[in-house]
Amino acid sequence: MSMSMRYDEPQLADVLALIEEVWRSFVGVDEPLLPAEPDTGSVAYAATVTITGGWDGAVTLEFGVGTAEAVSARMLGLDEITEADVADAIGELVNMVGGNVKSLMPGPSALSLPVVSTGRIAHSNDTVEVCRCELSWAGLPMAASVHAHRD
Amino acid sequence: MKILIADDSRVMRQIVVRTLRQAGFAGHDIVEAGNGRELIELVRSEAPDLVLSDWNMPELNGIDALATLRDSGNETPFGFVTSEGSEEMRARAEAAGACFLIAKPFTPDAFAEAIGQVLVA
Repeated sequence: MSMSMRYDEPQLADVLALIEEVWRSFVGVDEPLLPAEPDTGSVAYAATVTITGGWDGAVTLEFGVGTAEAVSARMLGLDEITEADVADAIGELVNMVGGNVKSLMPGPSALSLPVVSTGRIAHSNDTVEVCRCELSWAGLPMAASVHAHRD
Repeated sequence: MKILIADDSRVMRQIVVRTLRQAGFAGHDIVEAGNGRELIELVRSEAPDLVLSDWNMPELNGIDALATLRDSGNETPFGFVTSEGSEEMRARAEAAGACFLIAKPFTPDAFAEAIGQVLVA
């Protein structure tokens, strides 16, 4: 994906377009990602990558109960999956979204390997959330956010 | 023909294999590596006809693995399949001796176009 405009921070519309493209390519087209109200339940899994260099920040995906397992099973084409499969699949999803966010921002920058957690990932005090979207896939809750580093 | 797929994500290696098939490159022998160090070892032991490699991997990343191969005189056709598709990364890949860079997320058409220059389907 190429976008000629570069901004100081990632724009919500761009991040949403990237996530939708990743989902269409690897999770499937029969269940679209839809905007949703914030989920009141807990975050079951989260995956994040950091970008450092010309722009410093992090891209994070959060998955409500059951979402990461369902997404991973769809990616792998399997009915039963392990926790390792989930970590691998959602780590790869955030890697793709993060790599494309990196391409939108001033460089050169380095993209980290993904970190996957059960539960929410805590972000440090020197970052601020600059973009967040609440989503629903196959009726299951998830969210994407971008945090930018602040000096 | 033998194709070496290097990616630290098993899920992505599986998706790459599936996409190769969808792009018309079915029936080739597939060898898999989980990082750049394994990639180098398998290029030397398996002599693949093409390497498809992720960029960011633990142990040794794809661009350093490519540089190591080229420095040692190995000219195996090498393409990146990576989430980083910026012009800067494409220029770095080309300068290091890569044949192409396929950006994730990708389509079978992107595979057919890039790999068709190297392998005959």
